[in-house]
This record gives sequence, structure tokens and C-alpha cells, in this order.
Amino acid sequence: MIESTANKLLGKSENTTVYVCVLYYFIMAIFVPGFFTIHNSWNLLFNLLPLLIVAIGQTYVMLGAGIDLSVTSIVAMTSIIGGYCLSDITAFIEPVWLRIVFSLGAMLLTGALIGLINGVSVAKLGMPAFMVTLTTMMLFSGTAIWLTRSQNSYMLPESFVNMPYTSLWFIPLPLLIGLVVVGIAYFLLNNTLYGEWLPSVGMNSKTAAISGVKVQSTTIWSYIICGCCAAVASILYTARLETGSPVMGQHILLDVIGSVVIGGTSLFGGVGKIQWTVIGAVFIIMLDNSLNLMGMSYFLIMIIKGLVILLAAMMNLLKEGKY
Amino acid sequence: MKMKKIFLMVLSFICLLSANTGCRPKKKGVTIGISFETLQTEYWVASMAAIKSECERNGINYIVAVSNGDANRQFEQVNNFISQGVDGIVITPKDAHTIVPIIKAANRASIPIGIYNRLPADHAGEHVAVVADNYEITKSTVRYMGELARASGRKHKAMILIGDLGDINAIYRRDGFNDGIKEFEDVVEVVSRIPTEWNQEKALAGVTNALQANPDISFIFTSSDFLFPSIISALKNADKYHPIGHENHVIFGGFDGDPMAYSLLKEQYLDADGVQDVFYECNSLVQAILSLIEGGKVGRKIVDPGFVIHQKNLNEKATDMWGANLQTP
Repeated sequence: MIESTANKLLGKSENTTVYVCVLYYFIMAIFVPGFFTIHNSWNLLFNLLPLLIVAIGQTYVMLGAGIDLSVTSIVAMTSIIGGYCLSDITAFIEPVWLRIVFSLGAMLLTGALIGLINGVSVAKLGMPAFMVTLTTMMLFSGTAIWLTRSQNSYMLPESFVNMPYTSLWFIPLPLLIGLVVVGIAYFLLNNTLYGEWLPSVGMNSKTAAISGVKVQSTTIWSYIICGCCAAVASILYTARLETGSPVMGQHILLDVIGSVVIGGTSLFGGVGKIQWTVIGAVFIIMLDNSLNLMGMSYFLIMIIKGLVILLAAMMNLLKEGKY
Repeated sequence: MKMKKIFLMVLSFICLLSANTGCRPKKKGVTIGISFETLQTEYWVASMAAIKSECERNGINYIVAVSNGDANRQFEQVNNFISQGVDGIVITPKDAHTIVPIIKAANRASIPIGIYNRLPADHAGEHVAVVADNYEITKSTVRYMGELARASGRKHKAMILIGDLGDINAIYRRDGFNDGIKEFEDVVEVVSRIPTEWNQEKALAGVTNALQANPDISFIFTSSDFLFPSIISALKNADKYHPIGHENHVIFGGFDGDPMAYSLLKEQYLDADGVQDVFYECNSLVQAILSLIEGGKVGRKIVDPGFVIHQKNLNEKATDMWGANLQTP
């Protein structure tokens, strides 16, 4: 009864979040000064990209009925490794273009390695995802601070720090990177065998295993993809702040989980789409941006975002008939 | 249905990107965006209040944002200020380096930006910064404490609580301490240097451990007054918290000039405190930004010479100490 009422109210359709998003955008455009401007539209877009990329990785993990709380520490670890390799002060590779290529490779590899550790711990050792990733979050956050003694890496190459303001084929590079990540993530989930296996593992891993799905490797790869996505986001954050920082991304976890949950990806795994997460991330960024423009305090914004995510999680549960 | 979906997706994307300039906010008078990295300590709260007060005195509108230690959020907040069409920006950055892209963003938008209390890195763009002379104020404070140590007629073991070394102010204060104490090597030996990263818990653990390793420590300098509660707690546990005149009194000094420092000075537990002149710094910065908005020119750096307050000049200097002027509940 409750489920059917919820479905009537919220709609079984996937478009509910899109409607809310568009409606919210127009309301804010009318009532919030500074929201409906070219400068702010670019702000929204550039604020969106790194968050969206991390959230896409998180979508993969949640589709497999897991969760990765360590994304913030992956962003931090990859940022300090990238910062160390890139900085004019500590760099050990010349010329600069080779240094940048090497550093980006090192960042991606680090992200993938941490993802591998998470994935193996969850899939092979059977440890709860929440516990594993909470622990690796603490482990790698601490390691990042310990390795750098809380110091930032700076004096990064101009060509790297100018990346957010550089265009290729008239498309800003961060946007291009975001589009490539979304495109690959969409393709992988919708056009490959892996994309069929992952939701089936999340839905019911035992049934999936009986059906011939390689449950363990599917789960491990979801964490590796998540680690790589966090590393890509870290590249954008590091370039944007012109600094490799051991506390980079420390505060984004709520937004990442919120983007996935608001998008409608099931908290129990098995159901979710990349385009849903895109909409969820857009909504989170719009919410944050508009509340900021309204002059609300940081803490009030956190309270409102927390309530919205809680509401979205409840809606998802209602739609799935969990109540 | 599929068409409807595509339409909605495209519509939301177009809305996001094709926003026109028709809705730029209408402003009356000058508006300044104030972004603070934190309001964690009384110093920052007092600074924020002083900047707001100076804005109000000059009829300037202001928008406030606090990033709670998140440099990326601060970058986004400043971009929001620019979207809102502010005329000037006053900012307390997280550190000397993450402020660089923020200054560049303000420069690109041709909006004057004033940096409060933390000097940006040398290669930062166009800005005006107001900063206390952390090195000299600390050195003078430590010299005063050193004279007390020498006058006591005995040798002392010393401890310094160092701030976050990503913060240039913490580095200058550490250097001021090192150079100030050098002159008293005959009577003061530094046995403990505690990295606090501006964190109360780390300070408490560090001071407790140091007092266990060196129970005869009798000279303590903290790079910020906000760490006083941690130090006092550890001193009390070690039975070393005694007023001036007591035979086991620890020569005690700090930096900032906050209300607790004033209370401790009055109660004769604190020997000396380096004071930053919050009112001078805030007023100077707001005036500098106002001047830049009006097309004037100002120097790149405004230095607050500060002063040392101690038991001998307490009555005379208290009126200039921001901590003494704050109403306590």
C-alpha cells in the first residue's frame, strides 16, 4: 500500500529526479541573484566535473552492492603523489611534458592499486565493504599526511595548472575529460558483458555465481574503476588548486554518496545507471551553489544537503518497497 | 517516452550552459565578499566581526562565506562571489599556495582582492595583503621571557608549540622564537618542539608527553593563544600550573592577544603575549580594498607591527589588546 502510494507520488519513472532538477534550476534562476549568469553556469559545470567523476566510480561499486568510503583518501593520496612528481622543487623527470604524463600515470596507478586492495579485501577475503573502505580511508588519509608532514606540493608546471583554462577543439579540457569518463562508464555498463554482470552481482551474488558470473573479479574491478575515477578527479582538483595536498577531497564524501543516492542508484545494489548519477551530481552541485549564493552558512548548507540526501534515500527505499 | 527523456536531458543541459547575462544582480553601493577559511578560534571570530564592523562603518554591503578548512570549497565560494558581481573580495586563505588560483580568478574578473593575515606565495597575482609582523612580535615576546629566565638566576628547560608549517605565520613565529631564544642560550635550553598543526588534541598529547619526558620544563611558548587550554590542562595534570611568584611557576608566553590571554595576564599565570592588532589589520584591509575599488593604488603588503603585552605594561596596553576589548559572557 505504502509502496503503491509512493510510486504514485514519486512516479516509478526514472525521470523524477530530472523533473525536480529542472524545476529547482528554474526556481533558483528566478529567485537567486547571480545564479542565472554565464559565470555561474561555468562555475556549476567546473564544480560538477570532479564530483561527477568520483560519483561515477561510486556508482559502479554501489551497483555491485558495495560502498567505497575511501574515495576521499584516494583523492588525497593521488594528489600528493601527483604533486610530488609534478612540482618543480621535487620533480625528477624532464622534460615537463614527460613529467606530466608520468605523474598522471602514477596518480591513476595509485588510485587503481588502492581500489585493488579494497576489492580484494571485499571479494576475496569476504570482509564487509563498509569496514574495509572505512579502514583504508583512515589508513591512506593518515599515510598522505605522514608522508608529506602536512605540507602541500606547489610550483607545479604552468601547462598543468593552466589545464582547467585550456581548450581542445573549443571544448575546455576538464569538460572533455568529464565527457570521456562519462562516455566510457556509460559504454562499459550498457554495452559489455561486465555491464550485465555487475548489477546481477549486486542483485544477488549467489544467483549470479550459479549463472556463471565471475562474482569476485566483477566486484574487484568495480573497486578498481572507482579508484581510477577518484584519481582522475584528483587530477582536476590538483590542477585547479595548483597544489598537491594531503587533505585534498577530505570533505567531498557526503556529496559523492549523495549524488549516487539522489540519482536513484539502489542502496542495496543491482539497480543504477550512469545517467542517474549525472543528474544526482548536477542536483547536488546546484543545491550547494544556490545555497551558497543565498549566503547560507557552511553548516546550514551541510544540514540541508544531509536532509535532502536522507530524503532521497527514503524515497529510493519506498520505491523499492522496503517499507 | 524515450523522446521525452532525451528532451528533458537536453533541456536541463541547455539550461545549465545557455544561461544568459540578463539576470545579473542589481547592486546598490559597494559590495564585498568576505571568505574565511575557518572561524575555529576567537581570533578569527574577532577578525570577522571587525571586518564586518568596518564595512558597516563605511556603508559597504558584504556577503560572508566560511569554507571550514576546505581549500576547494573556498575556491568555489570566491567564484560564487564573482558570479554575484561583488566589487571586492577579502579573504583569509587556508595557506600560502591554495590562495594562488583564487587570486588569479579574482584578477581575471578584475576584482580587487585583499588577503587577511596570511601572506600568499611570492608568485601570486595582484593583491593586497595585511599581515602581522609575526617574526618580530614573537622575537620580542621571547626576549622578554628570556629576560625573566635570566633574572630568575637559574637555568630553564623550554618547550615551544609550533603551528601548522603549511601556514607561513607559523613558520615566522617558529623562526622568531628560535632567533629570540638564541640570545639566552646560557639560561634556556630548548628540549621540546611540538608540532600541533593548529590542533588542540595534538597540542594536549604533545605537551603531556613532553612534560613526562622532561618534568623540569619551566619555560613554555605557544605559537597561538588558542592552544592555552591544552597547555593548562597538561600543566595541571603535572602539577606545574602556578601563578607568577610561586617557586614552581613556569615562564609562560603566547601569541595572538585573545581574551583568554588577557584573563591569564590579569590572573598572573601568563608572563607575556605577542599581540596582533586585529582592529588595525581589519580596518587597513577594508580601506585598501575600498581604495582599489575606487581606482586608487595601494602597496602590496600592509604590516601590523603589533606589540608585546606583559605584567609590567598590562594596564597601559590593555586598551589596545583586542582580547581585552571583547565582551566575555
